Amino acid sequence: MKTIRDRLTRWSLVGLLMTLAAAVMYTPTASAHGEKSQAAFLRMRTIHWFDLNWSTDQVGVNEEMEISGKFHVFEGWPEAVDPPEVSFLNIGIPGPVFIRKESYIGDTFVPRSVRLEIGKTYTFRVVLKARRPGEWHVHPMLNVEGGGPIIGPGKWVTITGSFAEFRNPVTTLTGQTVDLETYNEGNIWFWHVLWYAIGVAWVVYFVRNPVFIPRLLMVNAGRGDELITPTDKKVGMLFGAATILLVIFGYSSAQSKYPVTIPLQAGVLRGIKPIDMPAPTVEVKVDEATYRVPGRAMKMVLTVTNNGDRPIQLCEFMTASVRFMNPEVCEDESGYPEDLLADEGLTVVPNDPIGPGETKTIEVTASDAAWEVYRLSDIIYDPDSRMGGMLFFYDDAGNRQIVIVDAPLIPTFM
Amino acid sequence: MSTTTSAVRSHAEAVQVSRTVDYLGLFILFMVLTGSYHIHGMLTMGDWDFWSDWKDRRLWVTVYPIVMITFPAAVQAVAWERLRLPWGATICILGILFGEWVNRYFNFWGWTYFPINFVFPTAAVHMAIFLDVVLMLSGSFLFTAVIGGLGWGLLMYPGNWPIIAPLHVPVEYNGMLMSLADISGYHYVRTGTPEYIRMVEKGTLRTFGKDVAPVSAFFSGFMSILIYFLWHFVGRWFGTVKFVKKT
Repeated sequence: MKTIRDRLTRWSLVGLLMTLAAAVMYTPTASAHGEKSQAAFLRMRTIHWFDLNWSTDQVGVNEEMEISGKFHVFEGWPEAVDPPEVSFLNIGIPGPVFIRKESYIGDTFVPRSVRLEIGKTYTFRVVLKARRPGEWHVHPMLNVEGGGPIIGPGKWVTITGSFAEFRNPVTTLTGQTVDLETYNEGNIWFWHVLWYAIGVAWVVYFVRNPVFIPRLLMVNAGRGDELITPTDKKVGMLFGAATILLVIFGYSSAQSKYPVTIPLQAGVLRGIKPIDMPAPTVEVKVDEATYRVPGRAMKMVLTVTNNGDRPIQLCEFMTASVRFMNPEVCEDESGYPEDLLADEGLTVVPNDPIGPGETKTIEVTASDAAWEVYRLSDIIYDPDSRMGGMLFFYDDAGNRQIVIVDAPLIPTFM
Repeated sequence: MSTTTSAVRSHAEAVQVSRTVDYLGLFILFMVLTGSYHIHGMLTMGDWDFWSDWKDRRLWVTVYPIVMITFPAAVQAVAWERLRLPWGATICILGILFGEWVNRYFNFWGWTYFPINFVFPTAAVHMAIFLDVVLMLSGSFLFTAVIGGLGWGLLMYPGNWPIIAPLHVPVEYNGMLMSLADISGYHYVRTGTPEYIRMVEKGTLRTFGKDVAPVSAFFSGFMSILIYFLWHFVGRWFGTVKFVKKT
């Protein structure tokens, strides 16, 4: 018996030490949002974020920054995801490290959920005010009821300064300016501490006398009624009356101190205006789309017809916020997050300009480690194996044409 | 010492042992209630209790009392029936509020930096004292269910109004009317809690104009009566000693 006890003690001690060591020596910070864990089809075939701009990547506490850009609600919206009839423009950050001062879709201020239309493109803008110092991954995000969060590309932003200096002034319609960071806190503590103290007093009054064994014996002996004395009843009446009076007093004093109050505001905002995207003068037919699993590469055979009056070239293929660039045609100058930018990731054969009126079949290969890093290669395990994305063509004058592609995707394993 | 001989040798020692049992028992009871009632509360009325922009005059008023009268009813059944102790409801509420404040302060504020004025829990001690006092004075579970349960539901909103009224002051914000609580919900970003999840001001209760809270409170009180009965029997079943062998 003693041997078993000694062993148990020893191994318990070893376990405790290992737990402590693991906790002390390896405590990574969770600072991103699991965007790589989202099903690939959700990122490839729902919301396409583009023309994004983060106004800065370093900001001081109390200073503001802005994320702006466009998002396209993909025509080939998957059946498994509810349509975006109730959606909310959100921001993906690890807790309120920023506060969201303003957010707009088009010109409409959107503090609430909105209805979006499939196939349309919207501009958006979010103004953030820095609150907590640190380095944070900041994403635009669209939550879709029945679909979950659809997160856009994230960029690291550094907040400098002191959290203690953060202020959040708001002016009410009654003319009072309050700091929402600490407003009403004293009142909250006062009422909670007061009620808690009254509750403790009520319990302590009865706990002064024996609690369990003698009372149990008395009740079992049929003398339970003797345990509640007339004094106890008077104290009970006192507590009951004081409680009701305090509730009435608190309610009426709050009413007189805050005569103007409104209910919480809620409801879906409708009538959000999309932007008019110019109809592309480029027609693209996807003849074939394959994903080569060992090579982490997606190959598309496209028949491209240029109905415009200037020669065009394919510059970029963008899907799930990963941008595959054709380096012989263009490069990114917007400071797009590096991990999502395959700046030499797009190969086009033949890579010559497609002249006005010309139809050409081209072979486009999008290859980069991002397929694996962002777990987009998992698309071959999706229940509806299709790919979707945006093709960006440019003419020799720098004009852009955007074409949406949506086609079945066949995996190859050789 | 055998099982048939007493563990104590004098009355003073018996009193001392009895008090030790009391303090240990109270500590265990409090912590068990803190944990179990807290889990129950978070699974049933979680967001209404977490955020100030969920504390509305319809669903918060309705949901909170109905789902929270459960443990008080069960603990009262045991504490009163077996021990004639009239603080079954209050000990539950003190336990859950202790757990909630630990959670809100160290987790919501200390870990994720949501301001306390956005994440404070619902005050409920006044409801619990009312329920306990009704049971003690009446000595009847039936009376406690009907009058205590109704009062439990009715007292919830007026008891919390002094805490939430300052957050319902209106603001014109970027051309929209919002309360300060709405602005807190908008400013302090909850990545995993989009706005449409918020269940506030929904329902068809429109025939009483702006006086929605009293109607919701009455409905909540009636439902609390029914739930009190149900959980009273849960408490009796949980507190049975029929499986313990008599020696």
